[in-house]
Amino acid sequence: MRLCVAVAAALLVACNGGLGPTPAPTSCPTNFTGICGTVTIRGTTPESTDVVYVVAYQTFPQSRGELFDFFPRLPNQPATVSLADSTYFYTLGIPNGRYDWVLAVWKKVGNLTIANADSLLREAGYYKRTDADTSLYGAGIVVVNSIGTDSINFVIDFDNMHPVSFYFPAAAVRR
Amino acid sequence: MLAALFPVALQSQATGVIYGTLRDTAGRPLTAALVRVAGTELSTRPGPDGVYRLPDVPAGVVTLEARALGYRPARDSTTLAAGDSARIDFTLAVEVIHIPPDVFNLEPIVVTAGKREQSLHDVIASVAIVADSQIARRAVTSLDEAVDRAAGVQMLNGQINIRGSTGYVQGLGSRVLLLVDGVPMNQGDRGGINWDLLPVDNVERVEVVKGAGSALYGSAALGGVVNLITRDIPDDAHARVRLIGGNFAGPPHDVWKFRSSTGLEGGADVTASWGRDPFRGALSFGARHSDGYRQQDEHDHWQVAAKGQYRLDPVTRLDVSGAWASDQYLVPLAWCVRGQCDDRGEAYQPFMVDTSGLGDHTVSDKGYATAVVSREPSPNLSWLARASWLRTDFTDYQRAGNDFGIANRFGGEVRGVVHPDHGRVVTVGGEVAYSDVTSDIFGVHTQAEYAAYGEGEHALGGARLTTGARIDFLAVDGGGLTAVVSPRLGVVLSRGRDVWRASVGRGFRAPSLAERFVTTFVSGIRVVPNPNLMPEDAWSGEIGVARPFASDRARIDAALFWTEARRLIEPAFSSSPLQIQFQNLARARLAGLDLSIAAVPLTSRLSTTLAYTYLYARELAQDTAPARPLAFRPRHLLTLSADYSLGAASLGADFRYSSRFERVELYETDPRVAAKVLDLRAAWRHGPLAAHVLVSNALNYIYNLVPRTLAPVRTITLAITWTY
Repeated sequence: MRLCVAVAAALLVACNGGLGPTPAPTSCPTNFTGICGTVTIRGTTPESTDVVYVVAYQTFPQSRGELFDFFPRLPNQPATVSLADSTYFYTLGIPNGRYDWVLAVWKKVGNLTIANADSLLREAGYYKRTDADTSLYGAGIVVVNSIGTDSINFVIDFDNMHPVSFYFPAAAVRR
Repeated sequence: MLAALFPVALQSQATGVIYGTLRDTAGRPLTAALVRVAGTELSTRPGPDGVYRLPDVPAGVVTLEARALGYRPARDSTTLAAGDSARIDFTLAVEVIHIPPDVFNLEPIVVTAGKREQSLHDVIASVAIVADSQIARRAVTSLDEAVDRAAGVQMLNGQINIRGSTGYVQGLGSRVLLLVDGVPMNQGDRGGINWDLLPVDNVERVEVVKGAGSALYGSAALGGVVNLITRDIPDDAHARVRLIGGNFAGPPHDVWKFRSSTGLEGGADVTASWGRDPFRGALSFGARHSDGYRQQDEHDHWQVAAKGQYRLDPVTRLDVSGAWASDQYLVPLAWCVRGQCDDRGEAYQPFMVDTSGLGDHTVSDKGYATAVVSREPSPNLSWLARASWLRTDFTDYQRAGNDFGIANRFGGEVRGVVHPDHGRVVTVGGEVAYSDVTSDIFGVHTQAEYAAYGEGEHALGGARLTTGARIDFLAVDGGGLTAVVSPRLGVVLSRGRDVWRASVGRGFRAPSLAERFVTTFVSGIRVVPNPNLMPEDAWSGEIGVARPFASDRARIDAALFWTEARRLIEPAFSSSPLQIQFQNLARARLAGLDLSIAAVPLTSRLSTTLAYTYLYARELAQDTAPARPLAFRPRHLLTLSADYSLGAASLGADFRYSSRFERVELYETDPRVAAKVLDLRAAWRHGPLAAHVLVSNALNYIYNLVPRTLAPVRTITLAITWTY
């Protein structure tokens, strides 16, 4: 009988835990490797919006062919941005390393190919140090080193988005 | 000259044949039994249908004795004329007995490991058995729930893993072969398994053979084989009604609540049968509705199943069976994360779905028909021929556009089992399968498989050596043949009370038509076909030992296993061109320990079992990709069970622990936890009535095993069975 009680008690203790309510984060979670920050949403959200992702490139893409070499590596899913409020705290789990470009990508409803990337994707905002110059990249380098790198804040401006051709004109192989 | 040509005919003039059945008082066939001619060494065991046959019985007055463990022995006599046959049927009454240790220990008979009847301790591979009594006391509503608690087995959202074989690939390409009464039933298009193909109540037992089984079964038996063995049809008229009802617990936290009412489920299965040789038949109907335990989780299920047997003569039997099931269910998509639903300030809402997928639903019909002719012309020879047809038909209704797939799988097999002399058994056979699919996402394609196999078992002193191989030829869309050879070698050695077993064999899985030809979009990215996919394959081996202990009240079975897999088929993402394609990518190593201890009973009232699997599962380094854990495999899998009997009532519990997956795919940074699930049960019997209550996940432990898919919450189920 004592054994049964002991086993039952052990099971009850063992069954503690499990998933529980998790308030939306306002800072990088503990035991998290990646980047976190707040995006501030401006402008009018296009009706054709499918989703807005946050992704990170270790090296600024050099051609359209490298557009999808971002982290997290597909088919792992990037962080999505909730557009319900004017600010959103995101967490992006990515491996240790140096990242040249952290940006928000707006995607229009539709199935994606390289050929239609110009019409379906827009850069909607990217991280840039406040003390940086005006260069498009290089001013927002982020280093991840086994913890959550916090305060990677930036603005998503739906009124000032840039298509792929802004960075990679159709005729250009390298920028 | 004539004597040389017809020795059997001349011999039979001085002898005759006695045949018949062994059944209990309820008409159920007795298989773990012995029929012996009194005063001689002539004896035999009945087949799975309870039918026995004794050839070469000396003519004259013959007395037969029938014995079965737990039943009162019976004797009967007849006068047998030379060259004639006589029938003696036995009905044995239950007898409460005390079994002295070391006197009589009947091992279960299994039929899957060697494609023939074998005592469990003669089998070279590890086998887990789920008996109908275990299925009944768990009061489950689908067969995957019943198989889920078998030692070394884990279901991931309906996808079966035996020693970590499959992982989770969203229903595509199971690395475990499903059989129904020995007939392959993996889908013709996707290669997955429909666990709702058969009514739960129609299954007598489930045999799970672990490790590569392609030497006998060919494609898909890479990680193991699961055989659903349906009930035999007893003598006379019988009926069985099973009513089931239950409710799902609500979310344990107010912030997760998603509906104001309690989720309910209910259903009924009715089976009627009639048996009197030479004909037996059974017919089942069933229906079930479930509200589900989360948002957009409603499910309706209807089914019909039939089975018939016709005994053409004492040694020849025709079995036909079939089933049809129709399901309509809403599709519970990945749970919603912040911003995708009314998240109430939470990072995720595990009971709710992304509002963009609300309303998506699926209609899925599936059915099969089989016919088997089996004949045992002599105790040394038996053969069977079978034909089968499996059809699956689904339509996914989605906002983004509907998808459909209709697939057929036709199969045929001829098999012979020969006992050339005492101590040798040879099994040979040939098998064909033809699959076709018509689908908007898989296209219109066919796949043919032709195979021949042979396996021999030889007694060598105290050991039994098994060698065999199978060759499969695969052709897609009528193209060239791809050959796959799957050898197997094994030995069973009895040393005192220990039975050692060792085996090594090759398993493979041919790519499903879906993996080869799928054309669709996932998360907005094009999935492109790969007609050049090769079969994935693995070498698999194990060393195991079984031994009774504690005065034979308990039995321990331990096995070290090892699998080296290559060319595993996985979806590969490419950024240039932007696409997903199934490719032969990974090499993997899965190794570990499978341990089970059963004390049935431990005391006169208490039975307990423990099953533990330690699994080391690594994807091996390749090119520039480093080694890493295989996704969706737990390092530790533990199942504890106990049942306490109180006369007509009984109480029991199961506890399942599955350690936190080291790696998952799609949402690697999502929170994940170990699974710790406690099930409680109670049963009561009175005459033809039995009631079972199951409280599954009694502590309402909230967890998920596959990405953003909540595992079942606490569910209280009552099943009432009436048997006539």
